Amino acid sequence: MRLEKCWFCSSTVYPGHGIQFVRNDAKIFRFCRSKCHKNFKMKRNPRKVKWTKAYRRLHGKDMTQDSTFEFERKRNRPERYDRNIAENTLKAIKKIAKIRSDRSSDHIKNRLKTGKIQRQKEARKQLEQDIHLVKAPLALAQDSSLRLPKIKVNVSQTQTEENQQMEE
Amino acid sequence: MGGKCPSRKVKKRRYSHKTARRNKFLVKGDDAVYEELQKGDSENKPLPRDEDLPGMGQYYCLHCDRYFANVTVRDEHYKTKRHKKRLKQMSGPAPHTQLDAELAAGMGMPDNGPTLMSM
Repeated sequence: MRLEKCWFCSSTVYPGHGIQFVRNDAKIFRFCRSKCHKNFKMKRNPRKVKWTKAYRRLHGKDMTQDSTFEFERKRNRPERYDRNIAENTLKAIKKIAKIRSDRSSDHIKNRLKTGKIQRQKEARKQLEQDIHLVKAPLALAQDSSLRLPKIKVNVSQTQTEENQQMEE
Repeated sequence: MGGKCPSRKVKKRRYSHKTARRNKFLVKGDDAVYEELQKGDSENKPLPRDEDLPGMGQYYCLHCDRYFANVTVRDEHYKTKRHKKRLKQMSGPAPHTQLDAELAAGMGMPDNGPTLMSM
């Protein structure tokens, strides 16, 4: 039993599921469900459709380089059956699947980290720029408690006071 | 096909005719055209004469997979937006294939065994 992959979304097509299209040049296209088949008929490019694996790979959403990807392959040569090897393979499948899912979740976690840093940076910038919307600039200048702690630490007290006087 | 479509109703009417629908299946797929372009650049052999095709099958656009009646029509076609769009698409990355789909699904390269004959 060979489990094929869907041409459009790269999900596994189990026996009895999906549909197959054979073009007049004998090229076979397999689809896991009517959704993928319809998208193919509309001539959509899977690389540009966000929910497909091809898109996710291309845009760094999913893990691309990993040693666990070497196990599942399309083997175009007959393998002699060996009971021991089959047993060991069945045991290993579970372990490999676990390793792979852990690594892919790690990948997503790492990917989200950069977004968090970016958001914090933007928030800080907005606070600096738009503080006048919350408090009038004059009042802000008089009340030192409303100023950002960053300024307090970096710049000496005398210098900031001089600047305020200049502005006033 | 054609220029800008005035309305959905018109589009439906235009594609309701059998010939228009048949055309959809006769046109080569993107990947087939791409393959043809990749290998066919070096050889410039004359096109085979075919009475059934427009212009005896002598005026052919490889990118769009279309036959034209004469040279002027073909050259006119080369100037169209549709052809230029196609040209750009074909000069870009290779179209999606089953192998791409399998690699994206987390499979390795296919294992074909050792090569029996050394070339």
